[in-house]
Amino acid sequence: MNEQTKVYTSPEEKVAWLGTDPIPAKAYYDPEWFELERQAIFMRTWIEVGHVCELPEPGTWIRRELEFANASILIVRGKDGQIRAFYNACTHRGTQLVEEESGKGANFLCPYHFWNFGDDGRLIAAPDFERFALEKKDCKIPKVSVDTHAGLIFINLDPNPRQTLLEHLGAYAEGMEKLPVARATHFAEYSYEIDANWKITYDNFQENYHLRHVHGLTGIATVHPDNLYGYPTDYTFDGNNRTQEIWSNPTPKITPMQGYNFGLAAKFGMEEGVIGGPHDRTYFAIFPSFFIIGTPIQHFSHKVYPISATKSRGVFRVYWVGADDSASKRYAREYSLASIHDIHIEDVNIIRRAQKGLLSGAIKNIHFMTMEGLCRHLYQCVAKEIEAWQAEQAAKGEPA
Amino acid sequence: MSNQQLPDGFEVLEPFVDFWAVHGTANRDARRTESTDAQRKAFYQIAKDHVPRALEYLDQTPLGELDAKQTNLMNLLLAFAHVVNAVELLDKGEAKHAQFRAAMPFIRSTADLPA
Repeated sequence: MNEQTKVYTSPEEKVAWLGTDPIPAKAYYDPEWFELERQAIFMRTWIEVGHVCELPEPGTWIRRELEFANASILIVRGKDGQIRAFYNACTHRGTQLVEEESGKGANFLCPYHFWNFGDDGRLIAAPDFERFALEKKDCKIPKVSVDTHAGLIFINLDPNPRQTLLEHLGAYAEGMEKLPVARATHFAEYSYEIDANWKITYDNFQENYHLRHVHGLTGIATVHPDNLYGYPTDYTFDGNNRTQEIWSNPTPKITPMQGYNFGLAAKFGMEEGVIGGPHDRTYFAIFPSFFIIGTPIQHFSHKVYPISATKSRGVFRVYWVGADDSASKRYAREYSLASIHDIHIEDVNIIRRAQKGLLSGAIKNIHFMTMEGLCRHLYQCVAKEIEAWQAEQAAKGEPA
Repeated sequence: MSNQQLPDGFEVLEPFVDFWAVHGTANRDARRTESTDAQRKAFYQIAKDHVPRALEYLDQTPLGELDAKQTNLMNLLLAFAHVVNAVELLDKGEAKHAQFRAAMPFIRSTADLPA
């Protein structure tokens, strides 16, 4: 056995504990199961929604739509520098305060009856307020728990979160702080809505079994006879989170301008100090549906937001440290962005087909092979969280 | 009167300006989708030999100070960044690939920001 073979077969031992049982296909399309996921997980778990570079100064704010909660959320950096989050809803009659995706301003003025809220959610003024049987102090916009780590903004819709964000990130919190995203100042974004369950969508990006077939042309640089599928070199697990170490092809097939362009990007990456970190090849998967890849030249994250049992929305971001400050840097970034976009486009179509095949109900079980262990781990974590939530509900005497 | 749209020394790239030199990452991506195989290959074959020289030239001027001709050259190079994979990696697979591109639109790009 040569050295190359040894590194990519050993990870199989790391996933043996997950077992080999078939996975019930219903969990990937059934509305009742989705409702359990929504209640047990998404409504009470830390959800990644953005980056602190979107809130560069006091008074800046962003709006985020969370379809799974029918909620629009405002995330605001207040005059005191603190980041807060609120429901985007006026406490008078519920009108959405803002329609723009982002903005700057100390106040939020409801366009309906001009109730005016401060950046801390307090009602500052309302026309003819004396005619209400209310006190302003009781009219604050409902708050949402928010915290940041490694530059990333997370919210939690549970008014009393079960865990802090740091507890949620667990053993991977420290490593994430060493990623370029922690220092990012700029990003590019592309997104998609897809007729597919959030787990089917997310799972596509947790396994490399498909790379050889779906990305046969765009991913040719990863093809090597010693590791035909480009399987990871390692996996780790911590609670509901997991990592994989991306395999590095010793002799990648690089085309002429691809080589030149990535060479430029690598030069800038060196100058920005984002290359050579301890997690350059690490994929951090944070429960339930966020991941970020350590790779510094195309340092991207992916978040899958569930919409229904068979619909989801994905948001990819490619993060950069520093602005485009030269023609060469702008060109290198455009190429890096277009390249990773090329690969992800191929994923969207195949995910849609995966969902379509399940909808008839004819497929009762799906099967994950060893190197799809991260997908198996996600399903098991989801099932465990639902079970725990049902037990909590039963203890409270409430239906689950 | 000259119809020159690029800085002196880049005349060889003039035939590609009208179609390819557009502002915005999403617009460049759309141009790639709309383009024919012949358009992409013609652009690639000529432009590839001039990219390093063009970048070296543009790097001498801050991005915020590029004049109209230099901006055309910058936009042309940025469009080339989208064409490279279409020609070098996908080739005949580009047509199938293009069918799905609109499903994943660019929302934001640093190249769209004012310099």
